[in-house]
Amino acid sequence: MTTDGAEESTMPENEVPNMTQADAVPTQTPGVASRRSASRVNVEVRATETPGAAAPEVVMATEGMEVYYGNFRAVNPVDLDIRAREITALIGPSGCGKSTVLRSFNRMNDLIAGARVTGMVRYHGEDIYAPGIDPVEIRRRIGMVFQKPNPFPKSVYENIAFGPKIGGFKGSMDDMVEESLQKAALWDEVKDKLQGSAFALSGGQQQRLCIARAIATSPDVLLMDEPCSALDPIATLRIEELMFELKEDYSIVIVTHNMQQAARVSDRTAFFNVDVQENGMRTGQLVEFDETGRLFTNPSDPATEGYITGRFG
Amino acid sequence: MTIDDMSSQERPRKHDDARHRFSATLDEIRAGMVRMGSMVVENTRRAGEVILENRLDVANEVRAADEEVNKAYAHLEALSFETLARQQPVARDLRFLVATTRILYELERSGDLAVNCAQIVENLDGLPDSPRLTGLLARILDEACSLFARSIDALAELDSSAGERLDREDDVVDDLVSRLYTQVGLESDAIGLETAVALSRLGRFLERIADHAVNIGENIAFIVTAEFPGDTHAAMRDEQ
Repeated sequence: MTTDGAEESTMPENEVPNMTQADAVPTQTPGVASRRSASRVNVEVRATETPGAAAPEVVMATEGMEVYYGNFRAVNPVDLDIRAREITALIGPSGCGKSTVLRSFNRMNDLIAGARVTGMVRYHGEDIYAPGIDPVEIRRRIGMVFQKPNPFPKSVYENIAFGPKIGGFKGSMDDMVEESLQKAALWDEVKDKLQGSAFALSGGQQQRLCIARAIATSPDVLLMDEPCSALDPIATLRIEELMFELKEDYSIVIVTHNMQQAARVSDRTAFFNVDVQENGMRTGQLVEFDETGRLFTNPSDPATEGYITGRFG
Repeated sequence: MTIDDMSSQERPRKHDDARHRFSATLDEIRAGMVRMGSMVVENTRRAGEVILENRLDVANEVRAADEEVNKAYAHLEALSFETLARQQPVARDLRFLVATTRILYELERSGDLAVNCAQIVENLDGLPDSPRLTGLLARILDEACSLFARSIDALAELDSSAGERLDREDDVVDDLVSRLYTQVGLESDAIGLETAVALSRLGRFLERIADHAVNIGENIAFIVTAEFPGDTHAAMRDEQ
């Protein structure tokens, strides 16, 4: 799979359609009862909001979203609201569809032959799979950080400057590079080796460089697919602290195998499980979506409790 | 001093601390317990006004102030519960959060005892006019409040020596309370049985407040050293 940065190089900025910039209108998820749905599990949404409080700003929302690989349905219909400036964690066992769901949020599944998304994925209210929407622009607004740090084989500076340069960035590139590295809590460690190879950095630094690179194209959503699974525990905790700082400006969705990480960093957690069908097909299923504190102290679904306590079944 | 500065093992300084948010939460919990402890000391002194100055009107203030203690208890208990669930504490962080659960109980119970003391005087419609009894109660109140305040200071400083020290100092309170019992016995004909029982309970409750202070000290020692003073669990040392 190519990286989002590499993909950008093939598409000029002026083909960008009219993705609305900053009019962050809270998306109201309409009822999905009328939608064709094979979901057997009704995700209970508990009333956790204070009555009378303003509705939380929703930056992304899926409505009955399903993902198919050819004729095989990989994920049962998912209804999920991603709130602005929060960290949303997707957890669950292997094959539960959490990474597939994450990749649907910025059309990364477009790059997989035969993959197809049905239902609705909205970004600031707009259907990102609608005809005429440029996936490259989507990926600029909805950045991604991958499991293995994947810096370009270039200097630290070039890694950051690459995306904005392709995007026709006008302004001080030096300032932009510094600001991105500052936001990724990496500036102090690399300011004297900006022209050195990105590969000379440690794994944790490379991952923060990838976060800085994602930030450099001015997204407002960051998708992180197991961003710490290749890192040691201390580097992991540094990324977690960084995520906490980043959520002041960005909405973050993180997929993690490490449920303790979800417990530590996220505001809300979605638990996915594997639904084994009669024909043996294994389909991902959203089981429970709640405030993280509640999900880890009093989950509402026995399957969630079984998973987070390490007792399956 | 913060929990990061505990003398036995140096923690990384703040900017090096990869979990400074978690550390900040632990500091917040401890500061909350110190505030809660100060509220209990203050409220026990307020109950002392009811006892020694016959200020029955202050009893309502004591009850209202204990509501604040209860609110602080509920908040800190929920915070430490969620922190246990979400932060996977180990080593001294784990000891701190487990000890927090116990210390919060000691604080909340002490607050209730202050209310009970005020209520006893309220029900009696004032204490009998006996200089010896009043003098003993004044000294018990003073010693119990001061012992409790020292346990809260020890909590603020995470002073591991507090466990044994407060246990020794509590002997003064125990001694004064047994003198109170003797005096109540001597004056029981004059003050009547109901009052004699009430005064004994008053002494007992104040003694219990001091015992809770000792337990707090022992839990502080547990946080810092992983052991209870004299290697005996606080609950077993508790002479009920």
